[in-house]
Amino acid sequence: MRALFLATVLGMTLSAYDAVHLKKALEEKECIGCDLRGADLSQRDFSGGDFHGSDLSKADLRGSIFEMADFNGCSLRSANAEGAVFWKGTLERADLRGIHAKGANFKGVHFNGSDLSRADMRDAKVWKADFTDTILAKTDFRGSELGGSKFSRTDLRTAKMKKTLLWQTRFSDVVMTKAQCAFAKKEEAIFDLNVTCR
Amino acid sequence: MLKLFFLSCVAVLTLFGGTIQNDEQFKQAVLQMGKENKIVLMIYTTEDCPECAYMKSKVFHDKRVEPYMKRHFIVIEKNVHKSKLPDGYDFFGIPTMFFIDKAGNKKETIIGSKRPQPFLGELHRIRGIK
Repeated sequence: MRALFLATVLGMTLSAYDAVHLKKALEEKECIGCDLRGADLSQRDFSGGDFHGSDLSKADLRGSIFEMADFNGCSLRSANAEGAVFWKGTLERADLRGIHAKGANFKGVHFNGSDLSRADMRDAKVWKADFTDTILAKTDFRGSELGGSKFSRTDLRTAKMKKTLLWQTRFSDVVMTKAQCAFAKKEEAIFDLNVTCR
Repeated sequence: MLKLFFLSCVAVLTLFGGTIQNDEQFKQAVLQMGKENKIVLMIYTTEDCPECAYMKSKVFHDKRVEPYMKRHFIVIEKNVHKSKLPDGYDFFGIPTMFFIDKAGNKKETIIGSKRPQPFLGELHRIRGIK
């Protein structure tokens, strides 16, 4: 009983946001280095917003618009971003582990240096994005559209890429499985330098 | 004074996109279809848009899509950075595809790319819209 109580308290503490920070984020579309853990930021327009360095882990971002917003250095770990629009935003050096981003729009987004391990990117629109120096362990790209995107200095071997659109997607200094390589070639992806298929 | 007035008129006319019925490309498309009841597919593009290139070079020429498109649609393209855009045809994202009947009535709008099979499904659906 005591263990259950402690677990509940601990859970609440881990996902509790700072109410002042949330108010600022909602009113000003800007909150730098803020604590927005588990906050409800769903179904709103945050276009041009600046959230860099903030902790948005487990936040609810469903259906919101973050066009050209800055999420550099943020944690969006296990956040729910299904159907959200991040068009031309920056998500560099971000913790995106386990993010739920099914059907989200990441067109033109810079993911450089971010960790997308176990991220759910199924059916997402990810045209012309930059995945340089990203961690893609078990990232789920099934059904997503990665056309014109760039993958550089990353290991894709555990990433799921069934029915992923890879037309004109560029790969350089990457490691892929033989099956992924064959699929990418069939999809008319572009292999630049040092693509290892094993 | 007259020159200034003339220049102002020219400037206003340049900014004014005009109706779809007065759009040269649309008029040409309608002429081209003759007595046939095809639908004009007006696609908005930019130079640096891989999605637009995908639609134009892959989807429109897909072996399932192309014959159907040729039979029932006429494609016109407008580069949003270079062309005058007709009134009432604003866009949110690129590519945007407008489907317009012969009389100039907008039947449907699709934003973003689609893969061949779902796109073909959309073409069938749009053709069925009265």
